[in-house]
Amino acid sequence: MLPIDAAAHGSRWRGRHPGEKAALGLGLTVCAVALPPWPGAVLVAAAAVAVLLGPAGVAPRQLWRAWRIPLGFCVTGAVPLLFAVGGPDGFVALAPDGPLHAVRLLLRTSAASLGVLLFAFTTPMSDLLPRLTRAGVPGPVVDVALVMYRIAFLLLDAVHRIRQAQAARLGHTSRAAAWRSLAGLAATAFVRAFDRAQRLHTGLAGRGYDGTLRVLVPSAAVSVRFLAATAGLLAGLVALTLVLERSVL
Amino acid sequence: MHIAEGYLPPVHAAAWAAASAPFVIHGMRALTREVRANPESTLLLGAAGAFTFVLSALKIPSVTGSCSHPTGTGLGAILFRPPIMAVLGTITLLFQALLLAHGGLTTLGANVFSLAVVGPWAGFGVYVLLRRSGAPLMVAVFFGAFTADLSTYCVTSVQLALAFPDPGSGVVGALAKFGGIFAVTQIPLAVSEGLLTVLVMRLLVQSSKGELTRLGVLLQGGAEKEAAVR
Repeated sequence: MLPIDAAAHGSRWRGRHPGEKAALGLGLTVCAVALPPWPGAVLVAAAAVAVLLGPAGVAPRQLWRAWRIPLGFCVTGAVPLLFAVGGPDGFVALAPDGPLHAVRLLLRTSAASLGVLLFAFTTPMSDLLPRLTRAGVPGPVVDVALVMYRIAFLLLDAVHRIRQAQAARLGHTSRAAAWRSLAGLAATAFVRAFDRAQRLHTGLAGRGYDGTLRVLVPSAAVSVRFLAATAGLLAGLVALTLVLERSVL
Repeated sequence: MHIAEGYLPPVHAAAWAAASAPFVIHGMRALTREVRANPESTLLLGAAGAFTFVLSALKIPSVTGSCSHPTGTGLGAILFRPPIMAVLGTITLLFQALLLAHGGLTTLGANVFSLAVVGPWAGFGVYVLLRRSGAPLMVAVFFGAFTADLSTYCVTSVQLALAFPDPGSGVVGALAKFGGIFAVTQIPLAVSEGLLTVLVMRLLVQSSKGELTRLGVLLQGGAEKEAAVR
């Protein structure tokens, strides 16, 4: 199991309705993207970290390990904004407002990532996917996504073990050997995925499979208090951003 | 490369989501029709999606010395066809955003457009053209995967250039900037992905003729009678 999904299964908010957590996490993300980066994204990031480490109970180390991935993409993505191409200062020159734009982008992307992480760290895929039919996603598509979710972990585990076996047989000692091993790995993953699907079908057929995967979804009522608190937090962030922005200007 | 969460301004994020939507809806309809006609397809398509997800997690050696991930869109489009790949690619990108913190939800539309729509269609188009013109299967597979990978990154460059025009030279300058950065790494990576896809397809022809025949990549009778195209 992947670390974020494992944390979500053991989350303090596991029993909450995914809609509540989507309203909070994705609401924070939308605020981070739509509000001015300063001070909006900073406030959103602070609020998201406070909720993640406080009520949601995510361990700081887990949060950092997950957050540093999008943070790395944000930093590399901001670097091109530092330069201008084909201007009067030469073919490549430092952009006059480059550092300002890069910092704004960094603030926005890092805050937006925290909003998504809040949702991901508290909502396992197995709780989210079956409910997508109520959001208008066709049942067969949700069923395919459920099968993907279940087989993906088995395949990742198999790939990890095959890679270890290849390394133990000196499969990565030269460039040619590494390519052969990699191709073998991908082909074995393909064969195993289809083999797993065939075996799953055989097992389900013996239990009266008619094309629909029926899974038990833990019942969870939508909490009006939680949604009201979410609306209050988001409205407070928007208001505080506008007030601070005007006072700074 | 996926565009990270929050990277695109809201209007761009919404526009790319709107551009991707018709392809994803078309793919969902195709997938629903397939599953209703053949209920066992649910499991096979799920396996195909899981394979795509795992393929995008493999690291391929790059000519520049570093490692990167294959997009998997070329192989996926050849094996499962572009409409199905639009759906499987969208689900894969959703999983990557929520399980691996790669990509994002506000940028999902833009990433779907480059990775799950343009990549598969461009790669599949080249594959079909080459097969119709009589090229051997492995040559068509190489250029299909190469084109799928490269077109994905070209579209990503366009998306970034439109979002962040260069202060001096506008969108064209920004396109040269982002395209230039990607070209250093992505052309060697596209070659690498093409080679890897050929190696994988060779192994699959040897070990999984049944599945490839069922998917329409090979004709009944074996590898020597590969399907031209459907």
